[in-house]
Amino acid sequence: MEIKDTAVAGTLESSDIQIMISKAADGIQIDLQSDVEKQFGDQIRQVITTTLNNLGINAAKVKAVDKGALDCVIKARTIAAAQRASQTTDQPAWEVL
Amino acid sequence: MDNQIVDLYLSNPKVKADWEAFLTSLNITNFSANEVDQIDYTIGIYNGDDLVATGSVAGNVLKYIGVCNKGVTTGSRFNAIVSELVNRQFAQHVYHLFVFTKLKYSESFQHIGFSELAHSDEAAFLETGSPDVHDFLAEIPRVDGQDDKQVAGIVMNANPFTRGHRYLVEQAASQNDLVYVFVVNTDASLFTTAERFQLVKDGTADLDNVIVVNGGDYMVSYATFPAYFLASPNQAVTYQTTLDARIFRNVIAPALNIKARYVGSEPLSRTTNIYNEVLKRELPPAVEVKVIDRNQALTSDQQVITATQVRQLIKNGETSSLAALVPETTASFIQHHLTTLQKRIQEGMNIDGN
Repeated sequence: MEIKDTAVAGTLESSDIQIMISKAADGIQIDLQSDVEKQFGDQIRQVITTTLNNLGINAAKVKAVDKGALDCVIKARTIAAAQRASQTTDQPAWEVL
Repeated sequence: MDNQIVDLYLSNPKVKADWEAFLTSLNITNFSANEVDQIDYTIGIYNGDDLVATGSVAGNVLKYIGVCNKGVTTGSRFNAIVSELVNRQFAQHVYHLFVFTKLKYSESFQHIGFSELAHSDEAAFLETGSPDVHDFLAEIPRVDGQDDKQVAGIVMNANPFTRGHRYLVEQAASQNDLVYVFVVNTDASLFTTAERFQLVKDGTADLDNVIVVNGGDYMVSYATFPAYFLASPNQAVTYQTTLDARIFRNVIAPALNIKARYVGSEPLSRTTNIYNEVLKRELPPAVEVKVIDRNQALTSDQQVITATQVRQLIKNGETSSLAALVPETTASFIQHHLTTLQKRIQEGMNIDGN
């Protein structure tokens, strides 16, 4: 899957995470902002990176604003943003879940 | 608790009165037509019949955000309003947003993913989304060994590029190793952004240490300095230019090793004159301000050159007088596009401002 456009999923409300994905030359760069960065920052980055890799995305710029989202939420928002950014929302990637 | 977000239609006088009363209670009191007319849409949250939160959008700028936290978790309504505005803008493919706010609210915005570009004693200016200022700076061309070179910057609208602009660039180019000319990005002038940019490029093509760059949203843009485009009181000009100057000093100049900023003296324009004064106050010592005397670049009959005069000549169709005021490149562009330009003026484009 290839990132074609900038896209966003999620909100800034409590227990959610807002994920913005845009194009990058190579590698997955994650700019994460979270109140629980100290405790869970690495974990959150890991979930985003793994989810993107499972979708076959190896290059993307990710901006994430976390408001205490659980892993399943992070995963869901990442998939939604990635599918919007790659313009593949008409073929949901169920197997990644 | 009812936390439903609804659209507020300010065209309805009752809604507008409620909205103004609510914001006034939060000490937001500037409802001049200049500001309010810019709003694209407004949303709000009601608790029963009372408005308890609101926010608006004008282009890529969030405005008039006000929230009452009585009886709810602090921040929840604020987050709901800003989330909704941000998501609606993203849905319209506007991925890069700004907010001007009082300094004390800067932190609340930083908490939800905004980063601060500059602040003064009373106000702060923040952005979110992408491409952000780092992307903007990464795109600007650089030369080898730039960190050891003497680099200067000029910001101009160049509506259109005149011999006065040319003189300013020549002075800077002769005194420095490298000169960046940032062309104002906001498309609110007689000449479009693409035209202004091209004319600056063509008019400086022979100066090989000059790089012409689009100033993006960070230099005299509609976002940072609306008063440049709309007639505004002195106080508003000072307040906006302070932030504009600080972005240049703190973010732009260090990234490009710019140590001097060249400006033309401004005997004729009130707004630009205030801007120059603020630059002189804010930029040094990090960036030196060099004011180039306009009287050095006079026409043969000893007149100060202004782009305002050029636009007047275009309106009157007096293209034969252009050569004294503008370089060959600009003159030939005007000759070729005279009817298009005159049509824009007829259709109401203001040519007396900047």
